[in-house]
Amino acid sequence: MANARSEPAPALGFLSVVEHAEHGLFGGYLILNANGRPLEFHCTAPVKANRAQEILYGPTLKPFLYGEQIGQTLVRKGQVEPLLICTDHEALLSVREFCSIPVVMVAGQSPFHPSLPILQFRLGSQSVAVLSTFGNDQELVQRRWQAHELKLELLEPFSRIREAIEEAQRGMRTSNGAPLSSIPAASGTVGSPPTSATVS
Amino acid sequence: MSPSTAYSRLGVERLPGRVDSHWFQPIPPVQVPTSTNSTPPLPPRAVSIRISLAKLEVRSYQFPESPHWTLPTEIAGKSHQERASVQNNNPSGGGGPVVPKSRTRLKPPADVVKLQDRLYYMLQPPLELLLSDASIDVPFEPFPYQFEGISFLYPRVAAILADEMGLGKTMQAIMAMRILLRAGEIRRVLLVCPKPLVTNWRRELSLWAPEIPLAIIEGEQNKRQWHWLETTAPIKIANYELLMRDRELFSNQVEFDLVVLDEAQRIKNRNSTTSEIVRSIARRRSWALSGTPVENSPDDLVGIFEFLAPNYLHSAMSPRQMGQAARDFILRRTKDNVLKDLPPKMFRDAELELTPAQWATYQAAEDEGVLRLSEMGEGITIQHVFELVLRLKQICNFDPVTGASSKLERLEADLEEVAASGQKAIVFTQWVTTIRELARHLERFRPLEYHGQVPSKKRDQIIEEFRSDPRRHVLLMSYGAGSVGLNLQFSRYVFLFDRWWNPAIEDQAVNRAHRIGAAGPVTVTRMLTTATIEERINQILEEKRELFSTLLSHTDTPRSAGMTRQEIFGLFRLQLPKPRGGAAA
Repeated sequence: MANARSEPAPALGFLSVVEHAEHGLFGGYLILNANGRPLEFHCTAPVKANRAQEILYGPTLKPFLYGEQIGQTLVRKGQVEPLLICTDHEALLSVREFCSIPVVMVAGQSPFHPSLPILQFRLGSQSVAVLSTFGNDQELVQRRWQAHELKLELLEPFSRIREAIEEAQRGMRTSNGAPLSSIPAASGTVGSPPTSATVS
Repeated sequence: MSPSTAYSRLGVERLPGRVDSHWFQPIPPVQVPTSTNSTPPLPPRAVSIRISLAKLEVRSYQFPESPHWTLPTEIAGKSHQERASVQNNNPSGGGGPVVPKSRTRLKPPADVVKLQDRLYYMLQPPLELLLSDASIDVPFEPFPYQFEGISFLYPRVAAILADEMGLGKTMQAIMAMRILLRAGEIRRVLLVCPKPLVTNWRRELSLWAPEIPLAIIEGEQNKRQWHWLETTAPIKIANYELLMRDRELFSNQVEFDLVVLDEAQRIKNRNSTTSEIVRSIARRRSWALSGTPVENSPDDLVGIFEFLAPNYLHSAMSPRQMGQAARDFILRRTKDNVLKDLPPKMFRDAELELTPAQWATYQAAEDEGVLRLSEMGEGITIQHVFELVLRLKQICNFDPVTGASSKLERLEADLEEVAASGQKAIVFTQWVTTIRELARHLERFRPLEYHGQVPSKKRDQIIEEFRSDPRRHVLLMSYGAGSVGLNLQFSRYVFLFDRWWNPAIEDQAVNRAHRIGAAGPVTVTRMLTTATIEERINQILEEKRELFSTLLSHTDTPRSAGMTRQEIFGLFRLQLPKPRGGAAA
């Protein structure tokens, strides 16, 4: 994070991964202010594990790709430090191991079916969870939520991320004249910069 | 596989050089001898796999409300990048999130091509969430189609909101302006409307954007000049007439982030002074509001586009081409499309025969008039024909000799019912003289008059009195003064005492009453005297309405049609005179 501050700005991070059947995984990280307006958006080039990676990483592949590779990279790109990071994927909870910001998973329409030990609690009217290994985050998150009197709806921004990733991918296809080919995991190649206003 | 051989799955080896695109690659399997083979087993080959963590490429976008936002130099001056930090609208209440029923997301217009700009719009919260913020008061929740209208205007640099009258174009424009102002995307707005609508806009702004300071440009020249140049009020309202006088006061001195033209059909003629002046105003965004952007021909749309996007449309385009080119700039909805719950609008055609006295006068006037026109030969002009048409239409209203009127008889009978049921009615006519004649005969219904000769300052008072005084049952209005911008939805009855030349104007008049907030069905009585000029005009206009509907239906462009010179001459079976000077027509 570029500006670690003692009192984080009243902003929330939303971290998600979109699976594309052909291209692989796209990561998206959206930082909103307290009114739900976008401050930053970061997205990754597509990541696709090959067969050998699948064999070598076994069951740890998903947490590795989601949390360590995609999530960690995206969160480090953020310039505004949010009060907390929300995710809609359990595998992204492991981002917490690489950053100092509490990470909560937001329950969708159906209740949690965790494969990891988690602590469930409520933020406003919304059901969320943190990794049990970071149990102190529950108190921290609730305190920050109340201190800033937040009212944001926590599931809605993920639909924005999905649309933005799709648009970014479409934009790349248009600007390159060819579909964006998937990039193997940990590869460093992408197409031309998307816009003149891109900030890296 | 042969029984004497097996394949080792350990057969991988380290790749030479960089491991950029793959962590590792399998190598062909190594043949391993079986136990029956007498030769000693090959020692296993050890290989190392380096799992490198090459940097994953990330594209990052900063948006204007971020403290880290910096204006990219190459796109400085573009619309949304040039804005200051936004007001901090921290919600003050506690509790959970407000979960609106529907979601209206902003969609970037087709002409926004930069990914950064497109993402900026796509990542904005749904409008319903923005408006659920406690600091943005709205008097009542907008309809879903109104949210769509706001989201249509919000990202657009050039737009026409062409909703049918009564769907709330004013409110949609105000809310879009309000959100843009609060986001810091715009700072200076000029709203131009016809003079009689200034007070209506002021009222609507106080309702839908009460916190936004407003300046109405009016009064003495010094005062107006001060208003033009001062910068404390983000929204200024000027009327079209005033722009002519104040051209020197604002040109080259003031620049606006947004200029909104209400009743934008005023600039359909691109050669008019009004159009020229409006186009000269320095601005970044241009919006046009009009329920009838096409009043007479597709050229009207070209005229409005000269303000929005000069040279984008041109007259040589076919209606279909024009419609397709304009599609992304125009949003048009009708009540039938979007307001399933709006009370119905019922038309009654009151086809009346002239009284004997009227008929005698009418026939004499027509015979004499047509004879005179015929005798004029090549010297005949459209004005001469118009004069006869107007004369005959007036006789259809009242016999100038006896004052007899079959329309008045019918109107009086209908108004008895309206008054008895405690309802209110609006009566539209083309002439002030007819209004006065009607007022004299309808005294018992305590009529109010609203027309061009009523001073502007008194007009609001008249509307308010009509609205609030239960003894006032009738408002007599001229099409010119009362057909646009007024909200008279408390009236359940509309009478078109005579017919306007253009059905679009009639529609506007009717929609003063049939609009959002209408308490019940609106009954529209169109008065038409049979076997007269009125019937002939009506027939032509109906045919043209159908023609335009067919031509422009694919664009959903509002249909409307006035009458051509040829059609006006044809009312009396007269031939168009040959053009003078031998020029080809």
